[in-house]
Amino acid sequence: MNGAIFPLQIANPEVSLLTAIVLGGLFGFSLERGGFGNARKLAAQFYFYDMTVFKVMFTAILVAMVGLYSLVGMGYMNLDLLWINPTFVWGQLVGGFLLGVGFIMSGLCPGTSVVSAASGRWDAAVTLLGIFVGTAVFAVAADVFPALEQLYQAGSMDVSLLHEVLGVPPLVFAMGVLIVAGAGFIGAEKVESLFARKHEAIELTPVNKPRVKLELVGTLAVLALVGLGLRPKAPALPPVQAAAMAPLSLAEAIIGKDPALLILDIREDADAAETRIPGSYPATTPEAAEALLATAPVGATVVLVDEHGALKQVPDGWRRNVEYRYLQDGFLGWELKVLTPVGPGDSQAEMEFAARQGQISAYFSGAAVQITEVAAPPPMAGGAAKPKKAGGC
Amino acid sequence: MSAQRHSEGPKPYWNPYVAGVLLGLTLLATFVVAGQGLGASAFPKRTLALAANTVAPAWTAENPQLGSYVANGANPLRNWLVVEVVGVFLGGFIGAVSAGRFKSTVEKGPRIGVRARMGYAFAGGAIMGFAAALARGCTSGQALSGGATLATGSWLFMLMVFAGGYSVAYFVRRQWT
Repeated sequence: MNGAIFPLQIANPEVSLLTAIVLGGLFGFSLERGGFGNARKLAAQFYFYDMTVFKVMFTAILVAMVGLYSLVGMGYMNLDLLWINPTFVWGQLVGGFLLGVGFIMSGLCPGTSVVSAASGRWDAAVTLLGIFVGTAVFAVAADVFPALEQLYQAGSMDVSLLHEVLGVPPLVFAMGVLIVAGAGFIGAEKVESLFARKHEAIELTPVNKPRVKLELVGTLAVLALVGLGLRPKAPALPPVQAAAMAPLSLAEAIIGKDPALLILDIREDADAAETRIPGSYPATTPEAAEALLATAPVGATVVLVDEHGALKQVPDGWRRNVEYRYLQDGFLGWELKVLTPVGPGDSQAEMEFAARQGQISAYFSGAAVQITEVAAPPPMAGGAAKPKKAGGC
Repeated sequence: MSAQRHSEGPKPYWNPYVAGVLLGLTLLATFVVAGQGLGASAFPKRTLALAANTVAPAWTAENPQLGSYVANGANPLRNWLVVEVVGVFLGGFIGAVSAGRFKSTVEKGPRIGVRARMGYAFAGGAIMGFAAALARGCTSGQALSGGATLATGSWLFMLMVFAGGYSVAYFVRRQWT
């Protein structure tokens, strides 16, 4: 059983891109309604008389954070499948500071300059032009100056989550953020009223209803308690699926002495060495299998061998940081595809294949040990690793 | 009291907390549907990859920043984040027009000319383009999206954006106030 239905994994690229238009449209619309299409309103954040940037942005972060971690807490969302910005401490510290400097100069940030340009603002169009130039300068400069590339890569922590760094449960951290943000909202409005007298207020700023923010923070706190507190059990992880591995690919990996390869023979009669694939280990009981698995390095390829290749789902509780494959058609496939030499074919390609297969077959059936042309194993096809999404903003 | 309904000028902005809730729900929906957050700076980066690949394909393929976008003949613009930015433009346009806020103008304070304002806008944009590439994201992809996932680097980034803005604000105040 597992309830982690999110994130949706939309296979159809056209449908996926359609969601991008719709969600991007909502993003642009809510930014516009919040006042983010106006550079003067955004810049006012840095002169204390209109703190809309802070309010909108933190409200959005609170809502999405509580929603996301509640879904995770209730087991509906698999955080492992969500792309999370990897942490590179130095690039993000220096880049963040520079982005703030550019922000107050242009009055916009990259996302809001799109909204502002769509509202007819020419300063935003020029900002966008500048962003293109700056991006190009970095792409060239990081290539030319090794020091910049070093800064870009410095302080890598991979995917790092703040509450894990601090060692507190997500609920406690979320509550802390809610309290700080709630106090921040109250403080921001005090600051605004303090500075408003000194400056001409930006037009069209709505009169704030003080209660709204407290109701909001309170509601989110309740949601966080329900989502993260009442069902604190870790979400059931989805079962691990093994990808198929062709018998010949396995044979080549064995010949190539792939160090990160562990072959587990789970057949009942696997204890007899003479009927096992060379280099494989008998794993006739779950305990034996788990003991063998514990010896494999992280990321190793674990090949499961059964009678007919029926075991495609990895049993619950097996470690998850290795890559599982199942031998196609099981030991039967091994006998048919590897131990039995194929006949020579007609075409050039078929004859080459037959010669190669013959060598592999001879290697394993003991007829001849001399291998001439079998080199390192080819890159394995159909890896089970999840596709890496391009990062970016 | 139809006088107010017919009054000239744009409609007021939404209450910031209401706009923030809609923005947050949009971001949450993006996590759920797309398995990633919202962003903006992938658009210039990927457009740049396309342009560079047209002019200098060999250089582009070798470039550590851009190479992966054009690997195996991929079209760098056929990407979720790129199409999403097209949506941002459309959503922003619909929002501005429907509120009566669409206006061909230059936003600036009273004490600065249009040309100087444009100079600042370009320079600020260039700094941000460089900074977003260095930080692997901008205010949308790092601060907002990464912030909501509680990514450590995104929070560092966000604090530094405010630090950078506040520390330079005094020197460019003529532009705004």
